[in-house]
Amino acid sequence: MDAEAQDSFREFVEHRSSALLKTAVLLSGGDRHAGEDLLQNALIKAAGRWHRIDEPEAYVRQILYRQQISRWRLKWPRRELSVAEPPEDRTGGDDSSAAEVRLVMRGALARLTARQRTVLVLRYFEDLPEADVARILGCSVGTVRSTTHRSLARLRVLAPELAALNTPSRPSRDYAPVEVRP
Amino acid sequence: MNVEELVRDSLRDLAGEQEPAAPGFADRVLAERRRRRTRTFASVAAATAAVVAVSVAVPQLVSGGRDDVRPSGVTGGHSLPVTAISAGRTVVAAYYTTATRKTGKGDGVAERTYRLLDPSTGRYKKDNRWSYVAVAPGAKTAAVIERTLPASRFGLLDLTTGKVKQWFDVRTGAGGLAFSHDGTKLVITTYDEHPDVRVRVENGSGGVDPAFMEGGTSRSGYMIFDLESHNGSWWQIKPNRDVPSRADFAFTDDDKAVYAQVVGGNDGMEEFYNLSGKKITAPAKEKYLRWDVPARISPNGELAALGLTKEVNMGKKLPGKSYSSIRNPLTGKEITKVRGGQLLAWVDDHRLIAWERTTPLKNAGYKDHLVLVTIGSDKVVVLSGVRDPDDGPQRLAWEPVFAER
Repeated sequence: MDAEAQDSFREFVEHRSSALLKTAVLLSGGDRHAGEDLLQNALIKAAGRWHRIDEPEAYVRQILYRQQISRWRLKWPRRELSVAEPPEDRTGGDDSSAAEVRLVMRGALARLTARQRTVLVLRYFEDLPEADVARILGCSVGTVRSTTHRSLARLRVLAPELAALNTPSRPSRDYAPVEVRP
Repeated sequence: MNVEELVRDSLRDLAGEQEPAAPGFADRVLAERRRRRTRTFASVAAATAAVVAVSVAVPQLVSGGRDDVRPSGVTGGHSLPVTAISAGRTVVAAYYTTATRKTGKGDGVAERTYRLLDPSTGRYKKDNRWSYVAVAPGAKTAAVIERTLPASRFGLLDLTTGKVKQWFDVRTGAGGLAFSHDGTKLVITTYDEHPDVRVRVENGSGGVDPAFMEGGTSRSGYMIFDLESHNGSWWQIKPNRDVPSRADFAFTDDDKAVYAQVVGGNDGMEEFYNLSGKKITAPAKEKYLRWDVPARISPNGELAALGLTKEVNMGKKLPGKSYSSIRNPLTGKEITKVRGGQLLAWVDDHRLIAWERTTPLKNAGYKDHLVLVTIGSDKVVVLSGVRDPDDGPQRLAWEPVFAER
């Protein structure tokens, strides 16, 4: 990496790292440290081919998503977020405050698999259509759809407190917007 | 709201709370890249030399990635921090050790020795002048009381220059100090006698090994001092036998009242006074707090830090894991547990600094270190060397003083 590339890399990181970090932290289930590690790894990869990249942000994001669900990460479970045991006496119910529900949801998101969480982040945080998610993750639209469905079902199992607000307005097969094929 | 909407809201909330990446992130990435490349070349060279090719997994080193978290270096041989300990906006702005100094009649006084963080060098420096130090938000100014207690004045110390900018007289005898969270007020606890007197007690075997216990209370009241107008109002309070000899006041989360420790049926009990000398009931959010868990209420006001509720035995060799309770401040109901034996200070709405044990649960004594803990994660980040609270209090049992930068 020559001096000019380093300057351009620094400028990119300075302007975009905060936004990228948000995504990385979400992909890591809310763990800031793991998110920073994830982003750092993605940026290191991007730095290696900086002069060949046309759209750095899209490139780094793609690495973030794929890195998170890659076999390498699955092979090293120690790098996965481990969570404290769920509290024994969580009963939910009417007195659950909004803060409590959000915390419960965070805990549940953190306990999904990296793949499940990545799909939810792409669908519900980045608001991407299924076709784009499939392209980014290198899988079929059907896989995206089934993973989304299974992830939401898993959240309900991990956080029974959500049952109270868990009256889907639509049947589960309609979770996704209409798919657009290019 | 259905689950998809809640997922969407939760993700956005979580993203919205993230502080920006720290300055210098790019440089850190580039430095890490250089380091890894060096290591890769070294691995390739080693593999070439090997006669039998074996598959060697080179574990990814856990990289820095924690620019907003600064653990401290320690001096050789003991655990006193040398360089600044911080996480996010929370910094250990000072720390102190305590030793009992014998006085004339065989009794003693417990005296603190402070080490203050110099913001210009990022290092702690011993400052023997003070018996009590409170650090203002911003960690650039401290309120100090000199060695002789109760004191007739307190000063505002510039932590960078080490010089007192201004002295203020307190005729009623100052013994302890605390800043309000907004930094505009001080509460000064006043005493008629030295609050740290230790009375010599003979032990059962005839006093071969004398011990000291706390003296009785002489607390006379408290002063609320306005740092903008430099006016203070002192409020006398009736003596109460349920008050320990040093029972300093500190501001509640909303700065609208002050609280202090009382001794009662349960550990950790507190009493509350408003800013006009009147005893009041606990504010709604502080009803369930404990005096001995200093972290108290999260910055967003939604979570209360409470005490140790669980310890997990990890066998004879590994340190046990402690868990403290995070509760709904209004209902006192436990929301979750977080790692840490004693929660000391919130870093943000999900992270705290805590003491955590470094020794196995059984037959290994108790030693601890400062760690950063995160709600929802079992992982801890070590911030300090190991402290041995049972051994030589003067040298090793240091206590941190936190401030927000």
